[in-house]
Amino acid sequence: MAVAHVPPAGTWYGATLKEWVFTTDHKKIGMLYFITSLIFFIVAGLFGLIIRFEQSAPGIQLPGLFGQEGTDLYNYILTGHGAVMLLWWAVNVWMGGFANFLVPLMIGARDVAFPRLNAFSYWSFFGASLLVLLTLIPGNWIKMLWTGYAPYSMNDNAGPTSLYVLIVLLYGISSTGGSVNMITTIVSMRAKGIGWTKLNLFVHAIMAASLIQLFGVPSLMGSVILLFTDKYLGTNFYNPMLGGDPLLYQHLLWFYSHPVVYVMILPAFGVFSEVISTMSRKPIFGYISMALAIYAIAFVGFETWVHHMFVSGVPDWLRVLFSYTTLFVGVPTGIKIFNWVATLHKASIRYNTPMLFTFGGILMFLIGGLTGIPNAMVSIDLGISDSLFIVGHFHYVLGMALTFGAFSGIYYWYPKVTGRMYSEGLGKLSFWLMLIGANIMFFFQMYMGMVHGMPRRYPDYPPIPEWVQLMQIQTVGALIMTVAILLSLINWIKSLGGPKAEENPWKSPSLEWSMTTTPVGPNNFKKYPVEVPDDWHPYAYYKGYHTHI
Amino acid sequence: MKNLLSLLLLVGTAMAKEDILAYPRAYWENSVTVWFWVAVAIYIIVAVPSIYFMVKYRYRPKENEEGAHIEGNTAIEIVWTVIPTIIVLFLGTYSFANFVKQRNAPEGALEIKVTAFMWGWEFEYPNGKKVYTFFNQVADPEKNIYLMPEKIDDSAKAYIPAGKPIKVYCTSRDVIHSFFVHEARVTEDCVPGRITKLWFQFNKPGEYWVFCREYCGTWHSRMASVLKVVSEDEFNKWLGGQEAQQTAPANEPAQPVQQ
Repeated sequence: MAVAHVPPAGTWYGATLKEWVFTTDHKKIGMLYFITSLIFFIVAGLFGLIIRFEQSAPGIQLPGLFGQEGTDLYNYILTGHGAVMLLWWAVNVWMGGFANFLVPLMIGARDVAFPRLNAFSYWSFFGASLLVLLTLIPGNWIKMLWTGYAPYSMNDNAGPTSLYVLIVLLYGISSTGGSVNMITTIVSMRAKGIGWTKLNLFVHAIMAASLIQLFGVPSLMGSVILLFTDKYLGTNFYNPMLGGDPLLYQHLLWFYSHPVVYVMILPAFGVFSEVISTMSRKPIFGYISMALAIYAIAFVGFETWVHHMFVSGVPDWLRVLFSYTTLFVGVPTGIKIFNWVATLHKASIRYNTPMLFTFGGILMFLIGGLTGIPNAMVSIDLGISDSLFIVGHFHYVLGMALTFGAFSGIYYWYPKVTGRMYSEGLGKLSFWLMLIGANIMFFFQMYMGMVHGMPRRYPDYPPIPEWVQLMQIQTVGALIMTVAILLSLINWIKSLGGPKAEENPWKSPSLEWSMTTTPVGPNNFKKYPVEVPDDWHPYAYYKGYHTHI
Repeated sequence: MKNLLSLLLLVGTAMAKEDILAYPRAYWENSVTVWFWVAVAIYIIVAVPSIYFMVKYRYRPKENEEGAHIEGNTAIEIVWTVIPTIIVLFLGTYSFANFVKQRNAPEGALEIKVTAFMWGWEFEYPNGKKVYTFFNQVADPEKNIYLMPEKIDDSAKAYIPAGKPIKVYCTSRDVIHSFFVHEARVTEDCVPGRITKLWFQFNKPGEYWVFCREYCGTWHSRMASVLKVVSEDEFNKWLGGQEAQQTAPANEPAQPVQQ
């Protein structure tokens, strides 16, 4: 496969290695983030496959390969799959990759507000990535799961806590820098004529997600700093034997780690909105309520963290209170879904790969959202807490809706980034296989958790025939999904040498399509400073701005 | 097929009282039934129009090149904000009502102390009798898989009287574990330094699994225990029939890792 492709002179990506390492260009930094995310997505996906194979039969298979260390290896792989998928893929593919590349283009800016801070954020993230690779060395296995619950994480059985803490801290520094940068860029660098009601919904989503990061990450960093001092310096925040409280860790962790799921999913909502509107040739239905719903989700998202702790021993009144607030997130989310459906009314829908991934993502999110209700209803949660139902639910939301959104976005902006067109046939095949595989896998996972009560995080289980059968069905789904993801990866690499893309292949009036060259030039815009007419709107298809400006 | 049948049974009509296997499962099932039908209704309300629009308004050259210019409709947007709010309040309140029954044990419950540790459970009865279960008692060393309850020695099972509410006070010696009885649909974490509570009642004699549901290290997945539900007479005989203080079984538990 000939991927050695010489970029035309003058585009953003034609540069030497030295220029890539020392770059402060938002597009290059975005791509650095994106490629790092994608590599870790593949690694964590392989970890997921190992988990599936281990669970396909009762008993522990990994010791056969790795002696007595087998169970610990499983627990390490489980930790890696969770932490890397959430922090490297789900958060940073958006906040690092998509946001860096697209936000300045969508608001008519030449770069982000603090380009050097942006580079610093990436290299902190890179440092955290290197530390993650160090955990592959036997003896460095972190086995405390991505949540790192105290007091287990203070136990030597859990692996090197210090490494875990350093990874989280470097990651946190990167996220804080990135969110400050995005907020400042969106607030102060919008081109003339682009008010708050004329921003792409993707930009609103990044704004809200950055606010969540800014308020939430300090809580996460605080929780692991206390963990560090507890384990190595003799403080007693979490150790109950010396007057600490293990639930304090959970409160601090979930105060960040629940809102962060909206950091992961809001940008996916942004992509859904962009793609639906463009491919329907129609303005998004209820733009203002869509934008307000994004901020409402971000705000309410901070009042729901205790639903992760419904059976942890918190007082009963607290459980009921947070049951209501958690359920309430469904209202703004519902508004978004209803508006997307209404956008399709009297539309002119083009069925290409980004559109298919968006449809798939919305329908999967709907299932994920509806299966989130039992987690919020405290009376149901007593029976399904920490079961495979929860795992299935969040894989519908974060595994499927998010990844479908990311894939939709990759296909949608592929021509803008590379100047080439991807292969439609391969993309559609990848979509259908992924839809089928993921549904087989995660539907039966939820079913198994609710009806059969299988606990999560188990390599091993009693040889109950229904359990074995259901586990094997899931493995079939996982294999189909693997093929689908491979097809998309092949598509993206092969299409680098594909046919040249049109200047504005989707005929979109949004600035990144209508006012830049394809691929984007080093200075972003054809004309600078950017000025838009008074009646311009990123979703104004009916006015023909995609040809006029 | 069997799976589908059990799913239908799960969301089916309320069972006659004498058929109820366990509490608080009965209350749990009420909540699940309500959630399930609300979710199905919402799914249909969203999926049917979207699929209809997807087919009807697909792009056809020279027929509908551009979509209609519709920016929104305030009335309809208010409707789909207010109605979901009402549904949310209903679901929350319905769950609240069941939760009260699920959390508060009826009068006259038998009180048991459960202490979790890496990796096993200690059950202590009111007269001081103790039962231990360990991961290496339920695992078959030959095949390296779990033993099913019928092959486990009865001395390693926690006996429970049928038809009587059991109130469990739970704590832990080292890290957080979680006491989970699937057939009763009840879970509560066992936290070091805290005492948490839960209750359940089995109406039919039989053997039921207890699993640990909070990740607790290497042998988390082997931290199972078996509840043997027997008639009240048999239970009383078992409780008084042996010495009050049972010694630890012959095969030693794995040493919990020192902190």
